[in-house]
Amino acid sequence: MERAKKRVRGRDIILFAVTVFLGILFIYPIFFALISAFKSNGDILKNPAALPTSLYVQNFKDLFEQSDFATAILNSVLITVISEVLIVCVIPLAAYGIERRKSRTTSLIYTYFLAGMMIPFHLYMFPLFKEMKTFHLFGNMSGVIVCCVSGAVPFGCLLYSSFLKGIPLEIEEAAMIDGCTPFQTFWKVTFPLLGPCTGSMIILNGLSIWNDYLMPYLVLPSGKAKTITVEIAAFVGQYTARWDIVFAGTIISIVPALVIFCAFQKYFVKGVTAGAAKG
Amino acid sequence: MKKAKKFDSVAFTFIAPAFILFTLFVIVPTIASVYYSFTSWDGISSDIKFIGFANYREIFTSARFGNALKNTAILTVFISVFENAIALGLALIVDNVRWGKNFFRSAFYIPVLISGIVSGFIWKIMYNYNFGTLNAMLQGVGLGDFKQDWLGNAALTLPMIGVVLIWKGAGYYMIIYLASLQGVPVELIEAAEIDGASAWQRFKAITVPLISGAFTINFTLSLIKGLKVFDEINVMTDGGPGFTSETLVYLLYKVGFNEGRQGFGTAVGIMLLFIIVILNAIQQKFLKSREVQL
Repeated sequence: MERAKKRVRGRDIILFAVTVFLGILFIYPIFFALISAFKSNGDILKNPAALPTSLYVQNFKDLFEQSDFATAILNSVLITVISEVLIVCVIPLAAYGIERRKSRTTSLIYTYFLAGMMIPFHLYMFPLFKEMKTFHLFGNMSGVIVCCVSGAVPFGCLLYSSFLKGIPLEIEEAAMIDGCTPFQTFWKVTFPLLGPCTGSMIILNGLSIWNDYLMPYLVLPSGKAKTITVEIAAFVGQYTARWDIVFAGTIISIVPALVIFCAFQKYFVKGVTAGAAKG
Repeated sequence: MKKAKKFDSVAFTFIAPAFILFTLFVIVPTIASVYYSFTSWDGISSDIKFIGFANYREIFTSARFGNALKNTAILTVFISVFENAIALGLALIVDNVRWGKNFFRSAFYIPVLISGIVSGFIWKIMYNYNFGTLNAMLQGVGLGDFKQDWLGNAALTLPMIGVVLIWKGAGYYMIIYLASLQGVPVELIEAAEIDGASAWQRFKAITVPLISGAFTINFTLSLIKGLKVFDEINVMTDGGPGFTSETLVYLLYKVGFNEGRQGFGTAVGIMLLFIIVILNAIQQKFLKSREVQL
């Protein structure tokens, strides 16, 4: 635009230099974890800032040999994927019911859902676990998934409701006139139009489920591998002298999130801003 | 337009699944926790005794709760103030930098992607007295006298945990500020520039009022997030040294799981909920009063 035509000023260069410095500051800890994952424990201790000299993958070998990390990865993936599928089945539908079938009752339900955003998980976790035991959901993966889906309802409804407001009613009305049932109208007409919103919700929820620690730690049975995050926390306590192994674990935890972020950046931005606009 | 009250079966079937899950696994346990906060429940035995306000009496008289409340307040205020200042600074920088806008926006956002456990671990190692990066850097630039046991020094523990949280959180708030900054009309800024307003005057008189909504939201979000910090404390200090980094959430967890006093733990949780509800009410009021102004 216009600014691009302006010539480079000293101010621009100073600002750029400051930005680069801050960028390095923000990225350094992750870079540090990355280089440490490929160094032996001795090298990490001797010179934490040095780059790895060769492609040293012993840490990853040890990680998988000394613990059941493969199961942990599988658990993390399963919990995240299944929860997301259920979230997408349940939440947009509810938001649609609230937004398109407006009545006193549905607005009340919306307020009820939003109030849930204020309740900290830590407050209700003890009674929740007790309740889950009676449903036989405690100590297995379905319990974790149920918690993830239920906990996602408030933010998800908020996000979908605000997106639905921007989608014209006429298209749905046309579909109804053509003989679609409300259920068909939603899945075949409205839901595809909500694509960007679904993208944002999947990504933001996926990230928090993938990174969650306390809930899977407490719900999943002890003595077996739980999730990536839980295993890493356990290593920190267990192998206090083997930082190299823990760093290998942290890289396995970070890389999927990073790849997804790079691929779907715009959904992150949209989700964060849409959530804040009304939150 | 609307028919007189009639049962809307479509709305009902659409909302029902989410409603049932949410009620069953969020609201019911929350209500149950109000009950348990009046009991001496230990979390294991089925013998739950009703003890009236004893837990709350203990909350208001015990030094441990007072200490946890103080720690929570320090940590929460520390991160909300600095996180917002830094996030706004980053947003302004990213908005004005000439080259690599998108790249830097991503760079500042990337720490948000990392779990609390992992970021806590990485920083714990960087803070390490003997082998940590931080002390090595200080040594390297000739400031060896400032070498510290960053997490072991009781005066520094909370701010050092705060630094990790700010590093991990600033990018999130930056995105919200950026969106808000991009909503500031360019014509207004240009008009002020022509009228001879300095950069600072333009920022103060035009940008700040127009992004104050984002500020209110971000400040509340970071306050509430600060109240709930758990993972980083768990991996970095476990509430120590002593009780110096034991916050309300951490106290709740410890008495509930290590000391078998879940009744007391839930009472602490109820206090936490009170604080969050009050903060939200204040935010609503701020946002409303601003709407009147505009």
